[in-house]
Amino acid sequence: MRPFERAEIFLRDVSETNTESELAEALGIVSHELGFEYFALSHHVDLRRAAQPAIRLHNYPADWVEYYDANSLGVSDPVHRASHVTSVGFAWSEIPRMIAMTPKDHEILFRGGARGIGDGFTVPANVPGESNGSCSFANPAGTPMREEDLPLAQLIGAFAFEAARKLWRVRGPLIQPPPRLTDRQRECILWVARGKSDWEISRILGVEHETVVRHLKQARERYGVGKRTMLAVQALFDGSISFTDILKR
Amino acid sequence: MVTIAQSIPVPLRLPALREMFEARKRVFVDLLKWDIPVLEERYEVDQFDDEYATYLIVPDDAGGHAGSARLLDTGRPHILDTLFPELCEAPLPRGPRVLEITRFCLGRARGAHARIETRNRLVSGLVRYALENGIETYTGVAEMGWLSQILAFGWRCRPLGLPRMIDGKMLGALRIDISEETPALLEANGIYRPAPLQRLETLAAA
Repeated sequence: MRPFERAEIFLRDVSETNTESELAEALGIVSHELGFEYFALSHHVDLRRAAQPAIRLHNYPADWVEYYDANSLGVSDPVHRASHVTSVGFAWSEIPRMIAMTPKDHEILFRGGARGIGDGFTVPANVPGESNGSCSFANPAGTPMREEDLPLAQLIGAFAFEAARKLWRVRGPLIQPPPRLTDRQRECILWVARGKSDWEISRILGVEHETVVRHLKQARERYGVGKRTMLAVQALFDGSISFTDILKR
Repeated sequence: MVTIAQSIPVPLRLPALREMFEARKRVFVDLLKWDIPVLEERYEVDQFDDEYATYLIVPDDAGGHAGSARLLDTGRPHILDTLFPELCEAPLPRGPRVLEITRFCLGRARGAHARIETRNRLVSGLVRYALENGIETYTGVAEMGWLSQILAFGWRCRPLGLPRMIDGKMLGALRIDISEETPALLEANGIYRPAPLQRLETLAAA
């Protein structure tokens, strides 16, 4: 079978899935045919809805999952972090070239290896305004990936994530519309993200100090946060401001 | 409102479209580093910008260019069949009910929030244009980095072949099928922005 025909069959299968377990089963089968032992599809921890469990589909060994959760690796996982700096699939062996690795990161990859997780391939699924996600395929340590199948894995990963996203939505509104900010509020938050004080922002924008204080207070209220740093993080998270906006000169 | 411009003998000569060609240069050449021609160091224009091209333009508050897309007639040479035939393993959809979406461009002038809003208006405009003009399928080439986002619009989208690395970018061919249910699919994903389509008055330019 040509790889593309395999993709078409997978897409037909997932279009008919109505449950997480059916999707997991279809993913398990296609991963195996791609030469991968494991798959893991997850929304990376959602800050705003942390009270609700996010979907996670995988067939990793149970003891690895236990260790992973016990150490709350969902937020600091180097694979997840690397998937936030790119939008196309990458092999885990490339991660040290993508993000600054801490000793803990090396330890995570090492421990994964010790529990039977070797090299893998991760397809990022970053949708503006929603928490980031990804779909990974992995092999036991020592089993090489089949380079020629990675384009197919790229396609499968992206469509599998969207299929999961659809299942998610049925369980409740996936996207909470971000709080509406006024242009002035957004502008003030941009300067907060750049580290300016309220007084400095008032000088930059040529408005009263009190005005800036009021804009930021109202913006914090809309997000339901108490601190200016959290305000900037929330606005970045939901796409109200972007890294490019903050960093451009 | 979304502006429709079509059947313009030399699109670059139309003042109303110049800003779009400039925005395309800033997005596709300066930002995305595509290796495509630039005229007068300002305008990104290629061989498909001719009288057979249709442009959808989302104006900003001042009537300038916020975002745009170009639609190509698939009965004539277009991007997928001339430049990237190797991306299509399934039969390439073409004909009077199929248009190719190219140069999907969101201007860089405004912030992230405004760009998402422009994107929503442009995608909604594309759906409305298809429904009003008997178009059943859009095709297009996309960088795979955009795939999650394109799929997340919720419309019916399928690949036409496996993605490939071409000039350092992972590209793939897609088809998007449009029907009466498409607006509801976009709506369910919170991105549907219905707005009237208005044809650009081009007599003055002729």
